[in-house]
Amino acid sequence: METERSSLKRADPLADQHALLERARRGDPSAHRALYDAHVDRIYRLTFRLTGTEHAAREVTQDVFVRAFAGIEGFRGDSAFSTWLHSIAVSLSLNEIRRRKRERARTAPLDEANELTDSAPRSDPLLRERVMKAVNDLPEGCRTVFMMHDAEGYTHQEIATALGVTAGTSKAQLARAREKLRAALAQFAGEWNP
Amino acid sequence: MNDDLKNHTNDEPDFGPDAGVLPGPADPAFDAWIARVAPSLNEPRATPRLEMWQAIQAARDTARDAEAGRLPGVTPLRRRPWRLMSVIAAALLLGVAIDRVVLREAERPSVTPPVATGPRSDSNDATRLYRIAAAQTLTQAEALLTAYRSDGAPEQNAMDAQQLGRWGREVLSSTRLLMDSPAGDDPQLRALFNDLELVLVQIIQLSGGELDPQNRARERAPIDRALIERALESKDLLPRIRTAVPAGVAGANAASDD
Repeated sequence: METERSSLKRADPLADQHALLERARRGDPSAHRALYDAHVDRIYRLTFRLTGTEHAAREVTQDVFVRAFAGIEGFRGDSAFSTWLHSIAVSLSLNEIRRRKRERARTAPLDEANELTDSAPRSDPLLRERVMKAVNDLPEGCRTVFMMHDAEGYTHQEIATALGVTAGTSKAQLARAREKLRAALAQFAGEWNP
Repeated sequence: MNDDLKNHTNDEPDFGPDAGVLPGPADPAFDAWIARVAPSLNEPRATPRLEMWQAIQAARDTARDAEAGRLPGVTPLRRRPWRLMSVIAAALLLGVAIDRVVLREAERPSVTPPVATGPRSDSNDATRLYRIAAAQTLTQAEALLTAYRSDGAPEQNAMDAQQLGRWGREVLSSTRLLMDSPAGDDPQLRALFNDLELVLVQIIQLSGGELDPQNRARERAPIDRALIERALESKDLLPRIRTAVPAGVAGANAASDD
């Protein structure tokens, strides 16, 4: 009896999710709110990691949900709703990063290192600053894969789906990212080879 | 990839110039160390759930109001195809008439011997007209957006707000006509008009009006202003308009010189 009850409990979330999506498609505001509550934390964390600032993360996260709700009628459910949201989030975050790059090219260079290390722990500022700078110097795709995998714990399959590449590409890019970081941080080799 | 993801998955991100080069051998000690350090790099603070939800709601309200024609003076033109078609037909007829009567009169004194160039197609006429109208609308839009930015908080002054709203509605009407025109097949210009439409609707919303009895515009002004600023910045709207206007004028002139 107990086993039956717990397996029912496990099955419920999927059924709930379908019902929720159906209500959201019909324009039910409480369903929109429930979807937002269920996914916003992970989406915000991802956009924060990718864009590097609280302001940009907020704006991108808002855009993600505005677009998702606007297009939810056309969402056919071929993928999980969260996968769909993540692909929008990665896409908009990369657009935001590119926009800032263009803006920086037009205006005086910003002190990116300061901007991006604002919320980093202060225990070893020099090392953290150097690591952060090395991460930010990675090519866009490498950096995205590295942040999603090593900082946020996404699987290669999840990363691949969000980026529209294969899982093999995601693995190769993570290896390249780590290799580049190792070279950039060579002077701190004592940290990982004590 | 399934259909749900097709429209939202980006072009493949830039993996750098050496993207195809196989990575060298891994250093497990470094890999373990960086995997330990990475989660604490630029770690996100608590999610500002409520503030983001309010902004999302405001953006959706604005879009819904515009769609339903509830913004003062903003007609959901695309819901009336017969009206749109008649406006386009009238514009095209007028353009062809101007072209044939006025422009060719001006060409008559030329001493250049006539060259057999073949008849102009109606689609060329339509494209030229479209470019001229697009350049004019974008010039108006640039002036409006510049005025909006220099006004600071226009909703604080009823007169300024009304003027801005009226002006915004005029530009929005032209923008929507151009968006719906079959002559507008330039994807860049189309994307620019799409982005411009959103900002114009938000500016009109911000300006309030007699159809806004609960004065929602004033309540939501800070959020709407932030959304407008965000849209202006993230879409590079003013620089894109400035880039498009000379091209539009030049393009229109070049077409006229054919």
